[in-house]
Amino acid sequence: MLRITGGRVYDPANEVDGEVRDVCISGGRIVEEVTGADVRTIDAAGMVVFPGGVDVHTHVAGGALNFARAMTPENHRNAAKFTHSPELRAGVGGTTPSTFATGYLYAGLGYTTVNEAAVPVLSARHTHEELRDTPLVDKSCCVLMANNELILDLLEEGETERAKHLLAWHLWAAKGYGVKAVNPGGVTAWKWGKDAKILSEPVPGYSKVTPAKIISSMAAMVDELELPHPMHLHCNNLGAPGNIDTTIETMKVLDGHRAHMAHLQFHSYGGDDWDTLRSESVRLAEFFNEQPNLTADAGAILFGDSVTITADGPWQHLLYQLTGRKWGNLDVENETGCGVVPYTYKGTNMVNAVQWAVGLELLLLINDPWRIYLTTDHPNGACFWRYPEIIHLLMNADFRRECIEKLPDKALKRIHLPGIDREYTLSEIAIIISAGPARALGMPQKGHLGVGADADVVLYNDDSDRERMFGHPRYLLKGGEVVVEEGDIRKMVDGREFIVRPSYDDNIEEYLRPLFEQYYTMSFENYPVEMERLEGADIRECG
Amino acid sequence: MGGKVTCTLGEVKNRADFIIYWGGNPADCHPLHFSRYTLIPKGKHVPEGRKGRTMVLVDVRETPSAKHADILLQVKPGKDFEVITTLRALVKNQPVDAARVAETGLTLEQLQDFVDRMKNARFGVLFFGMGLSMTRGKHMNSAAALALVAELNAYTKFVSMPMRGHGNVTGADVVMRWTTGFPFGVSMSRGYPRFNPGEFSTIDVLVRGDNDATLVLGADPGATMPQPAIDHLARTPTIVLDPKVTHTSRLARVHITTATTGISAPGTVYRMDEIPLPLKPILESPYPTDEEVVHRILEKVKEKPAWTPASYKEVPCA
Ligand SMILES: [Zn+2]
Repeated sequence: MLRITGGRVYDPANEVDGEVRDVCISGGRIVEEVTGADVRTIDAAGMVVFPGGVDVHTHVAGGALNFARAMTPENHRNAAKFTHSPELRAGVGGTTPSTFATGYLYAGLGYTTVNEAAVPVLSARHTHEELRDTPLVDKSCCVLMANNELILDLLEEGETERAKHLLAWHLWAAKGYGVKAVNPGGVTAWKWGKDAKILSEPVPGYSKVTPAKIISSMAAMVDELELPHPMHLHCNNLGAPGNIDTTIETMKVLDGHRAHMAHLQFHSYGGDDWDTLRSESVRLAEFFNEQPNLTADAGAILFGDSVTITADGPWQHLLYQLTGRKWGNLDVENETGCGVVPYTYKGTNMVNAVQWAVGLELLLLINDPWRIYLTTDHPNGACFWRYPEIIHLLMNADFRRECIEKLPDKALKRIHLPGIDREYTLSEIAIIISAGPARALGMPQKGHLGVGADADVVLYNDDSDRERMFGHPRYLLKGGEVVVEEGDIRKMVDGREFIVRPSYDDNIEEYLRPLFEQYYTMSFENYPVEMERLEGADIRECG
Repeated sequence: MGGKVTCTLGEVKNRADFIIYWGGNPADCHPLHFSRYTLIPKGKHVPEGRKGRTMVLVDVRETPSAKHADILLQVKPGKDFEVITTLRALVKNQPVDAARVAETGLTLEQLQDFVDRMKNARFGVLFFGMGLSMTRGKHMNSAAALALVAELNAYTKFVSMPMRGHGNVTGADVVMRWTTGFPFGVSMSRGYPRFNPGEFSTIDVLVRGDNDATLVLGADPGATMPQPAIDHLARTPTIVLDPKVTHTSRLARVHITTATTGISAPGTVYRMDEIPLPLKPILESPYPTDEEVVHRILEKVKEKPAWTPASYKEVPCA
């Protein structure tokens, strides 16, 4: 049992805004009161108390990330190193940290829950193996569905109901938590070297299936199955100049269905080409503000080295042609693909400068912090361990102006950031890094400090240098265990994995089996991930 | 340049109409490859099966795989790099010197025809074996082959895949990457992973005699490694975990007989395309699994005093 006393508590889900009050913990949960001689007290005077951070969109485990590790050993040679000790495993940080290091680095920011945003069913077993080796954080997975050809074939035939059962079956087979749609139709088109850029045009290989149809049908399926997390959507035309039209069109196509719009920064550009690229964050934010069915994460970029990893194969081919750097591509039979291209965002580059501004603009212009969350689409826009730099930029308009002054003149005409004075409050930061994403993920036990919540609690020094503050939590409690103390990781605990079991018609297996045997290359029995692969699975029944 | 443009084997089965095997003899070394994944199966978009596919075999000699090929391109030994470089030039319509091409054992007409077929393929795939990656030029050959395939994507869909060896070498590589960040050649001697192939790769460590004991798991280095490495294994304590007697177990101080993974022990094997397959045991074994033995060794190791700092430590960038 434990009592945190004297800290200023920020718990926006329970409308607690910086009040000095006690937080009591027993049995891994937040409780009303603890008493007795064995209660440990942590004196949090001068500190702020937040619910543990929740990352709604990150790439930390599985085939694509591990492919990137193979491709970029040079990014790890000079990265942070973690020395093993009797409690901790060794590892490396950098752009694609090893699994143990990923757990330490997230804990080192005060994060306790992460959502791995892109998992193919075919290699989900691999993803879960890595997540098992990722300590200190709870985990969930979004499963790639919007280019699954067995589902698209059913949509082509108008068999939407059966497609829904197939989707539910796949989600359970992968032991996933949510449904991910990446460049709907575009990744399957990439299997023939093509893309799907226009929402109303049939996807190559189909006559009736369009990206719009995939988006609207799949969002409806997710709603009908009552999944806790809405469809997690990576729009078509990621990264392309002028893609604002596609993004707004996508929001219209959703027609009131719930959706989480991933890494919005990469989808908010005007202009016709790279020379005329400009920020369209104002237009996007104005439209988004009127769509209560939607949430989004920023996908902000920071200058420096990154490695881009996405299921969006055609975009990665273009990026390789633009940069001439390494290109990895891995198409996954019948389901999806992935591309890997190392990338360096440069402050002197006009396009990168606009991207940098757009990420911050969206965070500042979308008026409801409960619907926009802090992410960098790690490792695409920047590494997650750089989140504190973004928090500092959001909370300090003077610092932001100093940074804007260093941007190339060409970029200044194309962005809105210089005219924005808003500064985030601590409470708003608690929303965009914890309370909001927990709510979007549909995890009622996360992102707050009310009675019954998981005792994931982080204590920061109240420091005007917000980058230093959020990069160095004094204490972190995970499920009530003190894992970070005085800034050091003291204890290794394993996280849980959240999965859903949506209801589906059992007969769907009879439909699937012959198709699977025809189109796949492993035995049907070996396809679903066995429950034993997961450590501490927390199953939610739904639908 | 670098990277790899690849896919899982089912993509080849469902789509590939143009298949190249370079420097490998799958008929003998990967006997199920043709029938399960590449040539014979009726794929979703290749319903005709074998008739819908063209296979080109590139090798220095006529192997048993040749009778499965539609076209055989016999390259002079050691000239693979020159052939690939010529192909890359032809793909981009750059001029090449026919006399120099002739030194490779192939004619310019043959290579131009090859390039035309590659560009006209709907979905092409290049599998390359040790006849390319382990002969003159070695990793430069592999890099050139990977680059050729990447560049072909400006014209059509093309992928490549190295033909990985037997056993679970891919699985070892995959797990090393997620636990240490690096695929192989990792040293933990400073307490954190360092990667330097040529310095920390097993053969180099053994040949230099850097290590004072060796644990061998699922491998038989005594059969394949250079003599100085084998001598070092024999000279120092070597512990082998293996279901059967091997060259290495004969020279080892300790051989622990373990259950055969996949037959009497469960596990996971990663296919050459990095798709994990579960292994389900069909027989009981009186012997412990490799995993059990390693765990028991680890428990004993933990009883010894730790040699690294007791507290967590992050070493800043060099
Ligand atoms: Zn992403």
